[in-house]
Amino acid sequence: MPRTHALRTQVQCTVNGDEVDFLCADETSLLNALRDELGLTGVKEGCGTGDCGACTILVDGKVNCACLMFAPEAEGSSILTVEGIAQGDELHPLQQTFLEGAALQCGVCTPGFLVAAKALLDENSDPTETEIRYALAGNLCRCTGYDKIIRAVQEAAVQLNGASK
Amino acid sequence: MATVHLQADHRRFTGGEKTLRVDGGTVGELITELERRYPGLGPLLTDGASVAIDGELIPDGIFEKVDASTEVYFVAPISGG
Amino acid sequence: MTVTENPRTYKYVGTRPVRHDGLDKVTGKARFAADLDMTGQLRAALVRSPHAHARIVSIDASKAEAMPGVKAVVTGADFADLDPTHPEFDMAVNLMARGEALYNGHVVAAVAAVTAAQAAAAAAAVEVDYEPLPAVLTIDEAIAKGAPIANTTNRTLFSGDAEPSNLASVNEFGRGDIEAGFEAADIIIEREFRTAAVHQGYIEPHACVADCGQDGKAVIWASSQGHFAVRSKTAAALGWSTDRIKVIPAEIGGGFGGKTTIYLEPVAVLLSQKAARPVKLVMSREEVLRATGPAPATKITAKIGATNDGEITTLQSTMYFDNGSTKGFSALTGAMSVASYKLPNLELHAIGTVTNTARSAAYRAPSAPQAAFAVETLIDELAQRLGVDPIDLRLQNAVVEGDATAMGMPHPKIGFVETLEAIKNSDHYNSPVPEGAGRGVATGFWFNIGEQSSATVNLNEDGTATVVTGSPDIGGSRASMALMAAEELGLAVDRITPIVADTESVGFTDITEGSRATFATGMAVVNACRELIEELKQRAATIKSADVERVEWVDGAAVIEGEDRLTIPEITAMAKNTGGPLTATASLNAAGAGPSFAVHVADVAVDEETGETTILRYTAAQDAGTAIHPSYVEGQIQGGSVQGIGWALNEEYIYDSNGVMENAGFLDYRMPVASDLPMIDAIIVEVPNPSHPYGVRGVGETGIVPPIPTLANAIAAATGVRMTSLPMSPPRLLAAITGGADG
Ligand code: FES
Ligand code: FES
Repeated sequence: MPRTHALRTQVQCTVNGDEVDFLCADETSLLNALRDELGLTGVKEGCGTGDCGACTILVDGKVNCACLMFAPEAEGSSILTVEGIAQGDELHPLQQTFLEGAALQCGVCTPGFLVAAKALLDENSDPTETEIRYALAGNLCRCTGYDKIIRAVQEAAVQLNGASK
Repeated sequence: MATVHLQADHRRFTGGEKTLRVDGGTVGELITELERRYPGLGPLLTDGASVAIDGELIPDGIFEKVDASTEVYFVAPISGG
Repeated sequence: MTVTENPRTYKYVGTRPVRHDGLDKVTGKARFAADLDMTGQLRAALVRSPHAHARIVSIDASKAEAMPGVKAVVTGADFADLDPTHPEFDMAVNLMARGEALYNGHVVAAVAAVTAAQAAAAAAAVEVDYEPLPAVLTIDEAIAKGAPIANTTNRTLFSGDAEPSNLASVNEFGRGDIEAGFEAADIIIEREFRTAAVHQGYIEPHACVADCGQDGKAVIWASSQGHFAVRSKTAAALGWSTDRIKVIPAEIGGGFGGKTTIYLEPVAVLLSQKAARPVKLVMSREEVLRATGPAPATKITAKIGATNDGEITTLQSTMYFDNGSTKGFSALTGAMSVASYKLPNLELHAIGTVTNTARSAAYRAPSAPQAAFAVETLIDELAQRLGVDPIDLRLQNAVVEGDATAMGMPHPKIGFVETLEAIKNSDHYNSPVPEGAGRGVATGFWFNIGEQSSATVNLNEDGTATVVTGSPDIGGSRASMALMAAEELGLAVDRITPIVADTESVGFTDITEGSRATFATGMAVVNACRELIEELKQRAATIKSADVERVEWVDGAAVIEGEDRLTIPEITAMAKNTGGPLTATASLNAAGAGPSFAVHVADVAVDEETGETTILRYTAAQDAGTAIHPSYVEGQIQGGSVQGIGWALNEEYIYDSNGVMENAGFLDYRMPVASDLPMIDAIIVEVPNPSHPYGVRGVGETGIVPPIPTLANAIAAATGVRMTSLPMSPPRLLAAITGGADG
């Protein structure tokens, strides 16, 4: 019987510290591969066109929209998703300040914001409000008006700086 | 018997009357009486309106009791977002 | 910040615990509908009309059906044939066209296949033969003499007309004598306003999974504002009885009114039934923008009169709201929302039009923001002409308890004056306007509604509790339910687990809309707790062989004859000896939802070279009655404010001449991002609602009403230009500034 679809490509990479491999069609987005092949549904799709940030992940430490990458491009890279932010059962300070500061309402944007904010704080431990606002400008939140998100990031920066002193 | 306040929309049935004294012990009975007096008005009041009794908006209140001192407003249905 | 008239103090109500579902949402574990997968699941794709208006001559799916992986195809012919007078007719026709495609993007067929890619390929291969019909795209086209009919099934509501019409509804109300009102006025201002359609913009696209078993029953996992409504609407669209459908609520990624109706579930159920496998159906963002949501475009004329002493004598307004392809969201609530001022003479005309554009849906305080844009702009101009402070003018005319609403009935206890004073006394209002900037204020109002809710409270063996409701949690309502239960029972919030149960596990509950969850469902929770407390007292009396009359409930324990104490865990531990499990259920149709008023102030700078508006400072005060969880009340105020800001400054549906939406993506449909905004200072005002046990007023909706006129008034102060059309985007504002003309 003739094949009706192309053979799939194998991709090997590190996701949240674990070595994984999966099969995918060449045109599969990394977002769909993470969600459908690896079950990482914390990575959300809000637009599929790189305009909402719900699918934000770190690829080798850099912020990326998973919806704009083809899954095979992840070969050999190290990926961090929201599922990998906490250390075991210890939440990252950002997760804690988001919870305590009510920085989420529906929560569908939250994974993307947490990853983008972590990337910011990894690079700049003491950002100004304006720096935070620009660093998160690729992430849409329709529920909160951003106010409590910005404050939660500020608070997490304070906690991280306190801890490192 | 209660005092009933109608909207401008309803007044084409009542010859312009805005405020009426209507017989009935419940909102539903008021509607029945209004339909008897002004044929065609009833459906607007049951399908197209909510009721406010003495200032309180009551959803689906056809069995609400009324008496001679009750002020009933038939208002448009309100839904939200 | 909170300005409170609340005479009572509570132990749990008014505190800010971490919400119960929070952990799952910051770790990526929370499951939204698109995150769910069932064994053997198929993926579905929709076929949408490329025409704004066309007769569907024929649909040939034979090629699609022969494609790899394809398991089922459905079209309008597979759905229940509803009578046009059926209340769900328009909803049902909107989710699957029958005979005519009514707008660009209208679904005409659906395909299920093994993979999403196969489904998409097969959807593209469904051959539809269309005969294009003349399309009506705007309010002006719809009401023009001799206009083509946009939707031949539409009859004007309650008109008795048998003929199809482009008018969905025509309503009129008011009081007093308009002519006399204008005669008594020293100043009369009249303007025409226009606003474009905008989208609710929830970040989670519509999604569902349906699994229809061989017994003819279906289970649906849905993201919605009300899973009982998903059940009843699905049943109506399919012509099924409700007992054949069970709906399990997934987490919902924002709704704002847009998820009070349905688009997908009946389609997924039919595909699942045909294929005998579960079917998952997820919209793309483009589909969300083209075919769901929008809040109506409007055209509003308003004329106001006032004396030189600042007394508003009269208001007359005609408001056109475009419903889109079928009756959608009406003009009526917009006109009704003109209720903030004592208006002895008032005449309002609310007209809904039907056009060949996407069917409109509710959007947060539906229709009130557009109406407020008109009325609050005129009030601001009045203040300007009279040379008085805009808040003082509003205080002079503000409605208080007993004053008439737009529909005539008197306002219950309300906090409009208190909210105006909160802004008048705020640091923001008392700080100088920055050099070169303009300051604007405006107000808004929303009725709020009650409706039906159910709740069950179960006490577990160890004295912990589960609070079960049927209101989807769209922004922290589970935490509010737990707080109210904690206050009633005297049980710590972290000993209470609030859950949202499926349609077979809790009593009927209306959709989360009209800011009703904390108000009405909260009331059901309180009633169930009170019933439980009576039972707990009875059990305590049994254990202590005391007379139940001598048992009081104090701070989480039964106190017998003023001394002996039995705590909840002590009583639940003996439940089996005293009559069995401790559980209580309450249901109600809540009356007396208290209106909520808001007052906003903004300072803006306008770049006269680019037309770009920068918001320098923004403060929003709103009456919450009683804030159960103040953080989430602030969040509602801030979120509503920013949606209103987006509506005011950037968002709009842009259609080409064929009725195709040109900006159906987040790149071109531009919603506010963090770098566009300052902090939004929220001031919670508390004037308790006497109809709720804790004084709650819904807070979800009002926040979106004032921002548009607040910014328009601030822009007028900064530039001298009165914008009368939305959005006040840079090119439009620039044109208005350079042309000196009104927007
Ligand atoms: S889903 Fe990737 S940016 Fe929106
Ligand atoms: S919390 Fe809902 S979109 Fe951000």
